Amino acid sequence: MIISSQKEFSEILRALKEKNIFIIGCGKCATKLRVGGEPEVLEMQKRLMRAGKNIAGWTVLSSACNISSWDDVLAQNPGIGKSDALLVMSCGGGVSLISSLSERQVYPALDTESLGGMRLQDTMKELCIMCGECTVWEFGGICPVSQCPKGLLNGPCGGAMDGKCEVDERTCAWDEIYERQKSLGKLENLGSVHEPKDYSRKKRRQTV
Amino acid sequence: MSFESKLDVGKFVVTAEISPPKGTDTAGLLKDASMIKDFADAINVTDNQRAIMRMSPVAACSILESKGYETIMHMTCRDRNRLALQSELLGAFALGMKNILVMSGDHPVKGDHEGAKPVYDMDSVQLLGLVQKLNTGFDFSGNRLDGKTDFCAGAVTNIELSEIALIKLKKKINSGARFIQTQAVFDIEKFSSFLDKIKDTGISQSRIIAGIIPLKSEKSARFLNKNIAGVKVPQVLIDQMKNDRNPETKGMEIAAGLIKELHGMCGGVHIMPIGNHEKTKDILEWQA
Repeated sequence: MIISSQKEFSEILRALKEKNIFIIGCGKCATKLRVGGEPEVLEMQKRLMRAGKNIAGWTVLSSACNISSWDDVLAQNPGIGKSDALLVMSCGGGVSLISSLSERQVYPALDTESLGGMRLQDTMKELCIMCGECTVWEFGGICPVSQCPKGLLNGPCGGAMDGKCEVDERTCAWDEIYERQKSLGKLENLGSVHEPKDYSRKKRRQTV
Repeated sequence: MSFESKLDVGKFVVTAEISPPKGTDTAGLLKDASMIKDFADAINVTDNQRAIMRMSPVAACSILESKGYETIMHMTCRDRNRLALQSELLGAFALGMKNILVMSGDHPVKGDHEGAKPVYDMDSVQLLGLVQKLNTGFDFSGNRLDGKTDFCAGAVTNIELSEIALIKLKKKINSGARFIQTQAVFDIEKFSSFLDKIKDTGISQSRIIAGIIPLKSEKSARFLNKNIAGVKVPQVLIDQMKNDRNPETKGMEIAAGLIKELHGMCGGVHIMPIGNHEKTKDILEWQA
């Protein structure tokens, strides 16, 4: 799941110069996280109208990052054709995809934070940075590249205090990795030296 | 005799830490260095310490080396990818630097450029391995160098080690750390159990250099405990600072006492004053 959060409304308004706005929500992650589903889209409509915008319409696509026919979207949402700009309440993937299809000015209403998930009722952030070279099994299933703010592969830095990371209140990822390996009976995994990651595996702008 | 030769022969070394200027004026840097000229075996020069932007340690070390000081250049993994780390190290060696101290580096959010991109392309273990490679005449990718380095690389550690921190320290030693500089020591018993813990890591105790921060006041002691990871000033010392009429002198006495006890336990001490080195000379004279 892609973790995103709503931008400050004032920030959205600052960018949004156009008058006639069509709002697009997303039925997947943004709905689950309650940042871009129907209730949030309707709330956004209300706030934009109060701010003097004209709302040409709104929709919640089943998935903003998976659109098989833009013509179908246009046919079902004639308001898009009457709008000057689209405000997309999805992750950056959806915003970029809709930008490439719509030939219109598209604005994001959300900030995309990380690749995470929902564990029971908990939102799990930063589970993966999509490095293109998954070695999470070597760390007991806790990825230090995403969970440690420094992405350290060979053990903790000296910055944690009372088990808390130097960056914020999170628990030191390396303490968690140690405990997990211990419970899995795999402490010997921790002794091996991990080489730097191969970032050539993560080339930009590839289309399959 | 070079810093490394002194470690080799088991001389009790004194290293002292200096930060490069925040700006281009090097007068303060040279003044601070001159205060420790007669007794520091090498001067540690920090690398954007606590993620606060300052002059490059390569430049600052080069200036100090040109004035006859031996330096230990700090090199963090925070600001440079593997290309920049290597080119910086080659440049530093060509300019005369022989000693480096490798560490991850405080995260940018701790410093004065919070929005800076944290690099950490390599970690301290990997960087130590890379230095070994440069020392044998090859770069990270295995290309032959036109002139190799011959660095004496060191690593850092806290003295209260969790199991996982100890594993990492072992990796640092196996990856080529020839000396270890520790976070500040305030409790000899804790330092002694640290030495016990690292007994089988393969590094001699004569290559462990214990950190010393002379306390200035009760407030500074509390500040260290609250803000500096790996530093624990015991309550008894905080009380001594609180009850003394001249806390700064008391802090110097405490530091001198610690140094005296550390003789024979480890390879030397590393002085990291709060502020400049004005009092360092007295501390070292008092401990003798």
